[in-house]
Order: sequence, then C-alpha cells, then structure tokens
Amino acid sequence: MSDWKTFTVPAALVLSTSAPCFGTVYFTADQAQKAIFPGASCMPSGVKLTADQKKAIEKASDLRIRTDPQIWRVSGGGWFIMDEVVGKHEFITFAVGLTAGGAVKQVEIMEYRESYGGEVRDAKWRGQFVGKTAKDPLRLDQDIKNISGATLSSRHVTEGVRRALALYDIALK
Amino acid sequence: MTSLSNEVRRARPLLGTYVEIATGGMPKEAAHRAIDAAFAAIEEVQRRMSFHDSESVLSRLNRDAARQAVRVDAETFTVLQTAAEVHRASGGMFDVTIAPPLQELGFLPGGRPSHRGARRASFADVELLPRRFVRFRRPDIRLDLGGIAKGFAVDQAVATLRRAGVPQGLVNAGGDLRAFGGSQRVAIRHPDRPQAAYCALPLHNAALATSAHYFAERWQPGQTLAPIIDPRTGRQGTPVRSATVRARTAMLADALTKVVMLGAKAALPALNHFRADAIFISALGEEKCSPRWHAALELSS
Repeated sequence: MSDWKTFTVPAALVLSTSAPCFGTVYFTADQAQKAIFPGASCMPSGVKLTADQKKAIEKASDLRIRTDPQIWRVSGGGWFIMDEVVGKHEFITFAVGLTAGGAVKQVEIMEYRESYGGEVRDAKWRGQFVGKTAKDPLRLDQDIKNISGATLSSRHVTEGVRRALALYDIALK
Repeated sequence: MTSLSNEVRRARPLLGTYVEIATGGMPKEAAHRAIDAAFAAIEEVQRRMSFHDSESVLSRLNRDAARQAVRVDAETFTVLQTAAEVHRASGGMFDVTIAPPLQELGFLPGGRPSHRGARRASFADVELLPRRFVRFRRPDIRLDLGGIAKGFAVDQAVATLRRAGVPQGLVNAGGDLRAFGGSQRVAIRHPDRPQAAYCALPLHNAALATSAHYFAERWQPGQTLAPIIDPRTGRQGTPVRSATVRARTAMLADALTKVVMLGAKAALPALNHFRADAIFISALGEEKCSPRWHAALELSS
C-alpha cells in the first residue's frame, strides 16, 4: 500500500498574500432587512436609548453596550435591530429581526472580521470596515472567502441576541 | 474559480458556530429562498441531535435506550449508521459514546453516569436494529454526536440547495464545508498563525473538514469547540496539531478528522475505506499528505 507523503505546499496553492485578517461582508442594512422581512418595509424608529435604559439592558443581558444599536420599525409589526459584538479577536455586526411580540424571527450576520494584532477593540480600526458592501470587497478577502479551520464559537453573537431581547423588553415593548 | 457568478453569501449563528452558505448561478431572490430553506434544514438537525437540548432525539436516546429500544427518525439513524461504520473502519478511534469522559472533563454538561463496568463502554455496545430502533447494551452509554452531526447538517443543507435548483454553492459550518457544482478555492487556516492560511486548495464536488488545536495563547477567538479525546483510553491529547480531511460528504470528512487527529499515519486504512484523503501537521511539525491527494495536488500545481 502506498504511504503518506511529506507535504510541501505546491507553489500554485500557496496564497500570494499573508492576510492580516479574515473577514466577509454579507449584508448592508437594507439587504438584511429584505432577507429577514421580505416584502415589508423598515423605517428608522428614532428610538435612542437613554443612559438609564442602557444600564438596565447591560444588567439584564450581562453584556456591555459599546456602540448604540440601530433600531428600525417594520411595517405590519416587528423590529429590526442592528448591533455589534466584539470578542478578543473578532468583531461581528449582526441583525436581529423581532416579531411584533418580541420573539426572535431571524438572526443574520452582516459583517465578520477577525484580527490577531489586538486591533478589534479599537473603534477606529473597526470603523474602516463598517458600511462596506458585499459588492465592494476588501482586496484581502478575494482569495480567501472559504476557510476551513478549527471551529469558532458563535457565543458572542448568542450573547448579542440576548442583549437585543433585553433591549426590546426595556425600550420597545 | 474564486467567486461564484451572481453570488449570494449569508451567515447565521447555528450549531454553536457560524454557518455560511454561498450560492451562485441563480437569480438572487430564488437564491435567498433556497438559502432560507437550507438554514432551516440545519436547524432541524440541531433540534434532533443536540446534546444540550433535553427535548432532542439524542437526549431521548440517552435517557431511554438502555431500558428499551427507541425508534428514531431517518436522519438520526443515518448519522448513527455512519458513526458505526467509521467506528469499525477506524478500529474504535472514532466513537460517539464519548459523552461520559467529555462530561467528566467539563466539556459537556451533566455528571458522569454512575454505572462503570470493568470495560470501557464503546459503540460496540450500541445496537442499531431494524425499523430504526436503537438500544444500548449498557446503562452507562451516553452518545454525543458533536463529532459528526455538524458535517451531516452541512450535507442536509447542500441537499436542500440542490433540490431548490441551486446550480453551484458552498456550505461552511465553522470549517466543516462542502462545495457543489463547480470548483471552489478553500483556504486552510494555519495552526500556528491563525491570521494566515496554510494553503489554499481547489475543491470540486467534495467536502473538507479541519480539526486542530492551537497551543499558542494568542489563539482564543472563541475557543476550539471540539476537544479531542481518545475514546479507547478516555484521555485527552493527540499526536496531531491540525488535520484536514477531504471526503465525498461533510459527515465523513467531519468524523474522519477525529481519526486523523488521534491516529496520524494509522488513519490511512479508515481514509482508504471511505476513499477520503488527509493532510496533517503532527505535534513534531511534520507535514504529511495521503498519497492519492498528494498526487492530485502535484498535478494541480
């Protein structure tokens, strides 16, 4: 039986750039709204959280609010909340669609970035990516959209969804 | 091909990780509907095979199957049949009766079942009976499908997309992925430098899964979810740092990464049994590729 070969990565398979970060933009706000509430229209709600509300949401969800979530009201009932979570090496913008009764209808990841240079906690670093659309990919993404690696936990987004539910309870209900 | 034509790409938090679905060659509205259905198929697998959900089919088995044969749905039975085949082909290196040591080490909730025989329980103590009945021969059996169900969920999503008429696409559940209808480039994350890719490979109508642990402190972007324990001894620790398997289904690729993590070179008979291939990096830094894949990669360079 033939045996294992020593693997030297063939030249054609080596990536030309050693990317400093992996990341993908999936959705703009408009696209995510259409995906979660097809056929409905979303209007900016004008809801702005007060300091007291923020404190209550942080307490209820056990998660800090770093940036103000954006909230839309959905025609025919329901809410669209756009928010972000920051882990040690990743930051993720996500959207939660809530039914009129405040139940989670759907969660979509809008943008995913990871970095190992300690930048993710830096709002300015994160800001450079925000608002890019899927049509406007960063150069580094182009070769490496599909990655196979050890499984990453989605814990931070799960916590972010819990925070969105607390936000509904405290500010929208 | 780097990118799909008319690509639609979405991601949701599912199966404890990020699941990404990309489709190409289809009008966007129809693609979104197909992707919605594919995510729903993954949620269905999650509902049936979750260890954490006490209402899941798996939890029902773990509760009742030692007392009486329990009938399960066709999907769960398929996963158990594949688990049995990988268990046999790997000489027990893959074993879904791994839950008790995972519970003992704190990777799964719940205490260890009280009964402990002289011999360690294994999948050989699980009976897959006609008409999809399942029975445990010992009371201390607890199944955990964490090493195979994620891959199966990817396969179910791919089947759903194909039924909806999607001509090409890719489903990636946190690194367990499968491409269909056209070649796609997939990068393998470097085990030492997680910000970089180790290499990028073309994948054509096949699945790829990677299992790895990262010793470096700096790697903690949400922890690796799958601790590898040798089911033959119940102990942690493997001779391999990173294993990537290519197989015809994501379920097989998912399960076989565990065999390569534990077996290293000794995984070859199991890989050959399923006509699967692997690349691994050993704890000593050796980089090895199974012969058939090596030949194909040489040609593609």
